[in-house]
Amino acid sequence: MSELMPSAAEPQNEPPTRAEIDRSCRGPLLVFIASAVFWLVIGSLWAILAAVKMHTPGLLTSWEPLTFGRVRPVHLNMTIYGWASMSGIATLLWLQARLARTRLPLPNLLIAGGVVWNLALVAGLVEISLGHGTSVEWIEIPLFWALVFASVFAVVMASSLTMFARRKVAHVYVSQWYLFGAVLWFPFLYLMANTLIHTGLTRGVTAAATNWWFAHNVLGLWLTPIGLATIYYLIPKVIGAPIHSYHLSLLGFWSLALFYNWAGTHHLIGGPLPAWLVTVGIVGSLMMFVPVITVGINHHMTMVGHFRRLKDSPTLRFIVFSGMSYTAVSLQGSLTSLRSVNEVNHFTHYTIAHAHLGVYSFFSMAMFGALYYLLPRLTGREWASARLIKLHFWASAGGLALYWGPLTIGGWLQGLRMNNPDVPFLEIMTDTLPWLWGRTAAGTLMTLGHVVFAWLVVTMLRGSGGARPASFAAATSPIGEVKQ
Amino acid sequence: MNRALWLYLGVFATVIASFLGLVQLPDHQLRGLEPVRDESGVDRPLRPEGGVLAGRQEYIGLGCLYCHSQQVRPDGFGADIARGWGIRRSVARDHIWDPPPVLGSMRTGPDLTNIGARQPSAAWHLLHLYRPRLTSPGSIMPEYPFLFTQQRLELERPADALSFPSGDPRPGWVTLPTYRAKDLVAYLVSLDHSYPVPEVRP
Amino acid sequence: MTLVYGIVWIVMAAFAVSAVAALVWAIQHGQMERFASAARSIFDEEEPVGRPTDAFPTSGLERRS
Repeated sequence: MSELMPSAAEPQNEPPTRAEIDRSCRGPLLVFIASAVFWLVIGSLWAILAAVKMHTPGLLTSWEPLTFGRVRPVHLNMTIYGWASMSGIATLLWLQARLARTRLPLPNLLIAGGVVWNLALVAGLVEISLGHGTSVEWIEIPLFWALVFASVFAVVMASSLTMFARRKVAHVYVSQWYLFGAVLWFPFLYLMANTLIHTGLTRGVTAAATNWWFAHNVLGLWLTPIGLATIYYLIPKVIGAPIHSYHLSLLGFWSLALFYNWAGTHHLIGGPLPAWLVTVGIVGSLMMFVPVITVGINHHMTMVGHFRRLKDSPTLRFIVFSGMSYTAVSLQGSLTSLRSVNEVNHFTHYTIAHAHLGVYSFFSMAMFGALYYLLPRLTGREWASARLIKLHFWASAGGLALYWGPLTIGGWLQGLRMNNPDVPFLEIMTDTLPWLWGRTAAGTLMTLGHVVFAWLVVTMLRGSGGARPASFAAATSPIGEVKQ
Repeated sequence: MNRALWLYLGVFATVIASFLGLVQLPDHQLRGLEPVRDESGVDRPLRPEGGVLAGRQEYIGLGCLYCHSQQVRPDGFGADIARGWGIRRSVARDHIWDPPPVLGSMRTGPDLTNIGARQPSAAWHLLHLYRPRLTSPGSIMPEYPFLFTQQRLELERPADALSFPSGDPRPGWVTLPTYRAKDLVAYLVSLDHSYPVPEVRP
Repeated sequence: MTLVYGIVWIVMAAFAVSAVAALVWAIQHGQMERFASAARSIFDEEEPVGRPTDAFPTSGLERRS
C-alpha cells in the first residue's frame, strides 16, 4: 500500500510474524500495563475512601488531603489518566502494530514516555491533594502537568501514525479507523481544553461549555474508540470468525465521528447557557442511536453460534460483557439527554452510576479482556490460575451490577424527590444513605477483583505461571527463565 | 496533495467542527456581555476581590463543587425556584467574572447560587463548616477542622471565637477560624444573584 | 468581528470539504468494497478463520477438540 507512503524506498520484504510484532511491543507495553494495573488498585482504594466518606462523613476529616472534595478528583484522575489511559495506550499501540503488520516504532521513546506520564500523574495528584486542583471536572490537574501529558501524547501519536503509514495490509480494518481517530482527536481535545480553560482564554459559561465538550469526549473520542477497536479485533480473533457485517462497522465509525463530538453540552441542560447550545448537545446525543445500534447488532450477530466459547476464553467473557455494556450505556446516555429525563437524573447519584457503566463496565472490561489476551503473548508466559481469572470476572461483573442497579434507583428517587419542593432537602439526603452503603459494598467487591487481577499480573511478570503452551501459534519466546 | 493528508484532515474535521460549534461560537456570542446597573447604582454581578476572591480559591481547592451546584434551573424545570434556591434562573451574565465558573454537576448538598441571600450570617457558616451536624442535623457534609485553630481561653473571649449552642466543646478552650475559613465564608456570604437581569422577566 | 466570523466559516467549510474528500478517497480506493474479504483481513494461514486463539490456562483447546 504505497498510496499513503509515496516513498517507494519502503522495503518489500516479508511482513513480520505476529510473534515478532508482539515481541517488539514487549518493553514499552509492559511499562504502560504495569503502571495501569498499579493505578487501578490505588484508584480503587481512593474510590472506597470516597464512597465511605459519603455515608460516614466523620471519617478521616482532620488531614486535609483526605477531605472528600480532594479524594474524589484524585480517584477520578487516577482511574482515567492512570488506569484507563495507560492501559488504553498499551492496547492501542499493540492493535496498531498487529493490524498494520509492522513492528512497534520508537520503543525507547515510548518507555521514557510511560515513565514521564507516571511522574506527571503523581505530581498532578499531589497538587490536587494539596488544594491546587482546578475543580474543573476531568481536568483538575494544573496546566503545567497537562502539558507534560500532552508531550507524551505526541510520542504515542508519532508511533501510532508511523505504523499506520507503514502498514503492510492493503485494507484499513475497522479497528484501525477507530484507533486512527482516537490518536488524532484526543491530544487535540486535551490540549485545547486545558489551554482555553486554564489560561482564561474562555471565560464564564463558555469555559463550562468547553469543559463539558472535553469531559464528554474523553469517553466519546478517546476511551470509546479504543474500547470498540479492541472489541472489533478480539471478538473475531478469539472465536475465529470474521465480523458479521463490515458495512455496519464502517457506518458505525463515521456516525460516531460525526455525532459524538456534539453530545457534551447535554451535561448543562437547565444551565445558564444559550438554548441553542444545549439543544445541539441533545441532538448530538440522540443521533448516537445510529452508531450504537449498528455496533450492538454487529457484535451480537458475530457472536451468534459462538456463545459457548464464553466458557473457554477469559478474554471473550470480558470483551462480550464490555460490548453489551457499550450498547446499554450509550442508550442510557441518549435517553438522559432528553429534557424530561434529565430534569430528574441531573445532579443525582444516577449520573455517577451511568459514568461507571461507561468507564468501568464498557471500557475497563474491554481492557481486562485485552490484557488477558496480550500479556501472555508479550511475555511468552501463561496465567497462573483459571480459577482466579474467573473470580476476577465475577467480582468485577457482580460488583458493577451491584453498583449500577441500586445507585441508579437511588439516584432516580433522589431526583424525583428533589423536584418536589415539599420534601425537605435534608430528608432527601438521609434517604440516599442506604444506597450509598450499597455502593460501598459494590466498590469493595470490584476492588477485590482488581487485587486478584493485579496478583495474576505480578505472578505472570515474575514467571511463576509457567510457559505458554506451544499450541498457540502466536506465542512469543518467553523472557528469561520460567519455572515449569 | 498527498492523499494521506486528506484522510487526516477528514477525520480531524469532525472534531474541529464541534470545537467551532461548541466553543468558538458561544464565545463570540457571549464575549460582549456586560454587568447591569441596579436601582442603587451598583454594577451586578459584583466583581469578586480581596477576601471573596481568596475564598473562591478555597472553594475550588477544597472541591466544594463535587457536592454543590451553583446554577438555578428555570421555572418549570425542576423545583429549584420553588425550593427557594433563587428568585430567577441563572443566566450567562451571572458568571462574566468567573474564569471557569463553578457550576457543579452534583446536588449531594443544596445549590449555593444564592446562599449569601438565604443565610447571610457568617457565624452560622463558620459553625457549619466546623460541625455541619450542629446546624444541619442529618447532613453528610464533612467537617473541616483544619480550617480552625484551638486556643486556651484567656481573660477575654476573642470576638471571632465560635459560639456553640451548648457551650464550648472543650471547656477552657475556644475555637478560632483561620483566615482561610474567614475567606471561604466571605465568599459564601457574597453569593447572591437575586438582582434583576434584562434576560429574565420577573 | 465580521472578519472573525468570516474566517470561522471559511475554516469550517474547508474542513467540511476535506471530510468529503476523505470519504471520496476511501470509496475510490476500495475501502468501501469487497467487504467480505475486508472483514477477513485479520486472518491468514498463521491464524486462519475457524481457529479460536484464546483459552483458560490448562484447559487447552486442542485437548478438547
